Amino acid sequence: MEKNTAEFMNDAIRIEDLRKSFSLGFFLKKKEILKGISLSVKEGEIFGYLGPNGAGKTTTIKCILGLIFPDGGAIEIFGQPHLAHRVKNHVGFLPENPYFYDYLTAREFLNYYGELFLLPRGERIDKTDSLLDLVGLGKAADLQLRKFSRGMLQRIGLAQALINDPKLVILDEPLGGLDPLGRKEIRDIIIRFKEEGKTVFLSSHILQDIEMICDRVAIIVGGRIVNQGYLHELISEKIFFTEIILSGLEDGELEDLGEKYSVQGGKVFLRVLDESKVARILALVHERNARIHSLIPRTETLEDIFVDTVKHK
Amino acid sequence: MSQAVTPRRVPDAFLLVLGLCLAMAAFMAVKAGTDGIARAKVPGSSIIYVPSGQYLKYATFGYSPLAADLVYLWAIQYYGTYEIQDRFAYLDHIFSIINELDPRYVDPYEVGSLIAAQEAKDIPLALKILDRGLEKNPDQWIFPFEAGHVAQMVRDYDRAGDYFKKAMVMPGAPDFVRRLYADSLYKTADYKSAWGIWSGIYNSASDERVKKIASNHLYQVKAAADIQVLKDAVAGFKDRCNRLPRSLDNLAAAGFLPSIPRDLDEKDYVYDPRTGDVKAATIPWKR
Amino acid sequence: MKVGAIARNTFKEAMRDRVLYLLFFFAAVGIVASRLLAVLTVGDRVKIIKDVGLASVSLFGVLMAILMGTGLVYKEIDKKTIFTLLSKPIHRAQFLLGKFLGLVLTLFIMTVLMSLIFLGLLYAHTFRVEWSMLLAIVFMLLEFCLITAVAILFSTFSTPILSSIFSLAFYLIGHLSWGLEILIRKMRPGLSRTLAQALYLFLPDLENFNFKTEVVHALPIPPKMFAGSAAYGVFYTLFILILAMLVFRKKDFI
Repeated sequence: MEKNTAEFMNDAIRIEDLRKSFSLGFFLKKKEILKGISLSVKEGEIFGYLGPNGAGKTTTIKCILGLIFPDGGAIEIFGQPHLAHRVKNHVGFLPENPYFYDYLTAREFLNYYGELFLLPRGERIDKTDSLLDLVGLGKAADLQLRKFSRGMLQRIGLAQALINDPKLVILDEPLGGLDPLGRKEIRDIIIRFKEEGKTVFLSSHILQDIEMICDRVAIIVGGRIVNQGYLHELISEKIFFTEIILSGLEDGELEDLGEKYSVQGGKVFLRVLDESKVARILALVHERNARIHSLIPRTETLEDIFVDTVKHK
Repeated sequence: MSQAVTPRRVPDAFLLVLGLCLAMAAFMAVKAGTDGIARAKVPGSSIIYVPSGQYLKYATFGYSPLAADLVYLWAIQYYGTYEIQDRFAYLDHIFSIINELDPRYVDPYEVGSLIAAQEAKDIPLALKILDRGLEKNPDQWIFPFEAGHVAQMVRDYDRAGDYFKKAMVMPGAPDFVRRLYADSLYKTADYKSAWGIWSGIYNSASDERVKKIASNHLYQVKAAADIQVLKDAVAGFKDRCNRLPRSLDNLAAAGFLPSIPRDLDEKDYVYDPRTGDVKAATIPWKR
Repeated sequence: MKVGAIARNTFKEAMRDRVLYLLFFFAAVGIVASRLLAVLTVGDRVKIIKDVGLASVSLFGVLMAILMGTGLVYKEIDKKTIFTLLSKPIHRAQFLLGKFLGLVLTLFIMTVLMSLIFLGLLYAHTFRVEWSMLLAIVFMLLEFCLITAVAILFSTFSTPILSSIFSLAFYLIGHLSWGLEILIRKMRPGLSRTLAQALYLFLPDLENFNFKTEVVHALPIPPKMFAGSAAYGVFYTLFILILAMLVFRKKDFI
């Protein structure tokens, strides 16, 4: 677990040795889900919690929120006991596959949740309107929730998580089931949270999204944290190879520069391992007035780390 | 660092459990209290408004025997509650419902007729119930048997006799039913038939006790028949001679009777010339 | 008031629940059917309308209490709406209380509606508003509240079908208490009798809320009975609710 001695920053979430088992089935067979989770989320960062399905991501989140009572370990939110009401007043939560009350309209729903925070009426109305706009549901404000599509439910879910203007937002698979446009919108909203000084804890198994927006990540596999740290520290900037698409050069000239692995429609797809060779190719292209269609350095991705980590389990 | 496991406020669960125990104690105490309050009871009075057992049968979805049991149990409690003054108002209705629901349930017929006869003093109803019992259960001798007794209660020996006659030939009927029949024949003054039955019983008696009983009854019947004959003769003598005969022999001498009958023990009948009364010499069951 | 918010929401949810309308429809039919039955009976027609009418209100009220109680809490757990709810700063007890009060309000409204139909029907026959009927109905409402609490209790840990069965069992046991009493009277004094007596006091006696007979036959009700029944209802309901809170507080929502 990271300890910041140089600069004391409040941990938004701090979990130490969290354990949970469930007794399932008729014979009450004990199944260990969390086998001693320890992690910390710094205030103001976007923290990604990843793992394969069934690793214990949602269980961890439910422990944090008081929906599940752990067998052992400790949880603190902003240095306070995690279940205290004064703490929960500053937390917002969006569950996975959200489902809400069929018969309420979006506006009524947000109003209801606002009441649970004892927000005064005027504030509730204002917040409802602004949140509905924020998540792009302004037009559906008076539509009953049972008529909402999956994507719309996700958005209203996000809205209810923000009704109390929380300092910490916990999102369980927030980008699931959204189309690319939706995902971009949500990603943008999450980044805005950071700009507003909120802390975001999000769990996902879609690595590309995590990579795009998270500062730090923890990887959980089989109930244990197997890797944790800043993204840029976890992922080396090492370039594995570079992929180049070009046209206008003769086959022979590219012979020893790299692996040519396909030719399509006059374009050559090259995979170059050596960085120095890339420079030579560029010089060649310039010399011959050939054309570079694309040049992409392939670095280590989160997926690589993830797959690696999981394989080693 | 706060533990995730320990309860946030220690008294939390304790308060709840305390509240639980208090609430429980409270309602149990109140219950004990309200039990003591007498409430005007007309238990299950709504059954009275059920038009007939037939409808109830359909409503009980094949559980009619169970329904019969329940209604019967209730009825017993109901009729055992003597404070209810007008409880006999629907006696017929209630027991007809029970019988409709389970025609082969014997007890309600018996108990219903018992209540009718003994408590409600409604003999026709008692007989009605038992008749119904017999109708639905032609193999149960108990129904005409009891009906005979009920008839006897109001001295309707004719009817009693009919019932006993029915009962005695039914399977399982005990021997003594025959004797009851014979006795009711005697009581209706059908001495000839009575004699016939008692003779039959005497002859087929399996033990001494029954033989003795039969013999006593035979004595009784003969005595009754003979006395009737003698009395008629005495009356005829009085008509003709304007006086009572001095002794029974006079009757024979005067030609009113071919001979003077004697009782079964070959004893003479006792004649009182002052009143003209004829009696048997012995009491039949003191022989 | 957080409990108030939950109660209002529950009320809205219940009132929009289609099951309710079905039941209400059948209750209305039942009450009107009493009018038809009255034609068949021999004797006082109004009495049979009163009897069947009160029985309808009672029966359907209990059914509503059971079905709504078991359905609503289970639905929240099953559909996971409860996740967002309980992650907010509310006590789980507040949640249960809110649900309970919302259902009580719903039952109250439905009972008022059924009573109106019932009284209207009576008025058509007697040209009098039979206010005395309301006495029985008020205590029926108390019974409904208790049954609702029981339904909520069972639905905190059981599926709707089982919860409904258990709640129905509670109702039946509650009306057969006199059977246990008769049994106890016939027992010889001793340990088993004492245990039976304790059981007898503990098991619900729903006949305490049953004033149908007195009301229909215009019999007097001892005033102590009113206070006693009300107290019994309140304490028993409290007991059940606290029990539900205890069960609910450490429940894991997997």
